[in-house]
Amino acid sequence: MSMDIQTRFAIVLMSALLIPGCADNSSNSGTTSGTAVTGDSDTAGGESKGLIGYTTMSLTNPFFKVIGDSMTEEAAKHGYEVIVVSGDDDVNKQSNQIDDFIVKGVSAIVLTPCDPRSIGQAIKKANDKGIPVFTNDTGYDGNEGEVECHIATDNLQGGRLAGEAMVKLLGEAGGTVLVVHKPDASSCLLRVRGFTEIVDAHNAKDGSGKIDVVATLDGKGSREAGYAVTKDAIVSNPDLSAIFAINDPSALGARSALEEAGKQDAVTIIGFDGEKAGKEAILKGTILCDPVQFPDQMGKTTIEMILKYFDGEDVPGEILIPSKLYYREDAEKDPTLQPEEGA
Amino acid sequence: MNDSKPLRWKALANDYGMVLVLLILIAAFSVLTLERQSSTGSDAGRVVARNIIAAHGTSGTVVVVAGLKPPDERFLREAKEALEAGGVTVAAIVGGKPADARRTIERVLLEGHSIDAIAATGDAAKWSIYDRFESVGSNKCVSAAPALWPTFAKSENVLNVANQTAIYAIIAIGMTMVIITAGIDLSVGSLVALAAVATAVFIRDVGEGTQTGTGLMIAGCCVGIGVCALAGIFNGAMITRLGIPPFITTLAMMLMARGLARRLSNELSIQALPASFTWIGGDTTFGIPNPVILMITLYGIAHIVMSRTVFGRYVYAVGGNAEAARLSGVPVKRVIVIVYTLCGALAGLGGIVQASKLGSGDPKLGLMFELDVIAAVVVGGTSLMGGEGRIFGTLIGAFIIAVIKNGMNLMKVGAPEQQIVLGAVVLLAVLVDTLKRRGTAL
Repeated sequence: MSMDIQTRFAIVLMSALLIPGCADNSSNSGTTSGTAVTGDSDTAGGESKGLIGYTTMSLTNPFFKVIGDSMTEEAAKHGYEVIVVSGDDDVNKQSNQIDDFIVKGVSAIVLTPCDPRSIGQAIKKANDKGIPVFTNDTGYDGNEGEVECHIATDNLQGGRLAGEAMVKLLGEAGGTVLVVHKPDASSCLLRVRGFTEIVDAHNAKDGSGKIDVVATLDGKGSREAGYAVTKDAIVSNPDLSAIFAINDPSALGARSALEEAGKQDAVTIIGFDGEKAGKEAILKGTILCDPVQFPDQMGKTTIEMILKYFDGEDVPGEILIPSKLYYREDAEKDPTLQPEEGA
Repeated sequence: MNDSKPLRWKALANDYGMVLVLLILIAAFSVLTLERQSSTGSDAGRVVARNIIAAHGTSGTVVVVAGLKPPDERFLREAKEALEAGGVTVAAIVGGKPADARRTIERVLLEGHSIDAIAATGDAAKWSIYDRFESVGSNKCVSAAPALWPTFAKSENVLNVANQTAIYAIIAIGMTMVIITAGIDLSVGSLVALAAVATAVFIRDVGEGTQTGTGLMIAGCCVGIGVCALAGIFNGAMITRLGIPPFITTLAMMLMARGLARRLSNELSIQALPASFTWIGGDTTFGIPNPVILMITLYGIAHIVMSRTVFGRYVYAVGGNAEAARLSGVPVKRVIVIVYTLCGALAGLGGIVQASKLGSGDPKLGLMFELDVIAAVVVGGTSLMGGEGRIFGTLIGAFIIAVIKNGMNLMKVGAPEQQIVLGAVVLLAVLVDTLKRRGTAL
């Protein structure tokens, strides 16, 4: 019996492998009718100009959902269709998704790498098939594959904005600052570098109070770790005046630690990102301000670069989108926060 | 004697049921993914040339444009030859990015040619570069009509499915044996990561990183597989000597192996691997991906082991009734330890294939693999109660799951819906198994 299964399976496998073999001929001989299709495919019954495949890091993070949605919207305006899939933080899954994109014959692939280095082989595969690859948010860090253009937030400039906000806050009197860091993320390294640049420049000037960064701790970008390191820091630095946290979750973690110690009025927090929870905290006044990122603009710019590429223009290797400071008065005017207010 | 006929039908349904399901799925997805495929290749090149000659006669000047896809080269060559044979002047041919094509057209116009037509592949015809030139325009672009063909049945896709399944299927061999002994191994996903990291660390530290020779690379792979085999021995020993249930033992191993992989790699993927390391997971032999060849070979061996050897009979005996097996002289404990060791080693091999495919040793590899692998075994008809199951059934099970996943991906079904469907498939398979048991019990 088992031999029969074996033979049967061999037949299935062989027919599966043979069918496409015959197909290559028939699919092309099918074109003998040879109707010339003009380049203007919009006239051909509104058919799409092509597919763009986007595999993101994780769709559970609303940030990437916004990028995907704005890409879909922008592409639709120009007759392209976007397929959005989530790599779920799994490089293998993401690599398989790129295989599927190639089979589907997409015109371009966009990805936010789940791992900036392990994705190289998959990018190379797309390159070998002549499909252009674009990245956004997180870049590809390697040399096996070739990326046409990387679109991201200008994290260095964002860090500088946070530094400026800190100087505005403490500049006159000076004070002590805790930095809640995430040193394994290249984007966060840039944020802290920009922040330190501005603070150092301020300290080099005469006549105003010095801003002293008393500790830089790894808050892992998460609420839990942000809470834990802040707890430790306020014990060893009881006179702390402010905190700069490299994203909203760790800023909110820091806030919980301050509230528990009854220090929420003595210590001011500056965050980063401007995700919904962060903006809500700014509206409530629990976080002073955020340099915010613009995921919608990131998605839109990604599509613009792809269109530019198909228009035969030379695309720059990297596009950085500047971030902006977002204070309470911005939150009060923010339409995305209003419905929650009413409810 | 009267029963013999229905029994035979039942046996047939048991043996071929899953194959039939796979065939139906293949047929269904072929129909559902029927799409217009962009025209390229040598035939499209000839068609385009014929159309241009028909429309413009033999006096025209033509630029041939294509992208960078592998068949685009044949399109360019064939179109140029056919056009020139027809007496048409081919001012330039260009295969590249849109910017390359734009530059070529600029040059041709600058040289004083007027372009009567652009012969393009389906993809290149969609570029927006032609409208940049007043004297060209996209309406001068000629491409062959797109052919309708199921994306699912493209040879590229069939090989993709086989390639993506290979890693799960290889690990599923060991899992089938474990489940036939009425056990379970939850640690395989973590062992994939452990093997990948251990091998990568060995190549980086003991070898010379990207300059490592073949010998040391093979040694590195042996280390990766060896570590996982040891983990398997540990699992087996805990189960047989201390009587800890397989579920708990391997759950603990799942945590420990993942932690060890993260510790060894400092939570970063290790890249310092030689380019030739990607051979086993990323290369092809006679057009077939190497992991697929490895998978077929291993299934052949496993099938013989399980159906023709004493060891194979012991494995079934242990799962059928361990006490009866022990009384009839089967070394139950040793069989169980060997089965878990094999399962660990195969997971390690899977990890090496995976690391090779991605060109890096990543501690995050193999997340949730155990679930996909167990699903393949269960869908393939192996009973979780032990004592029953076939190696080739598992291969079919792995393919059923892979085909469903791939087909849904191609149809743009979202990830949440895919999870619901796959969950239902596993449930259905177990239900079939349960009904079968109830049938025999009655």
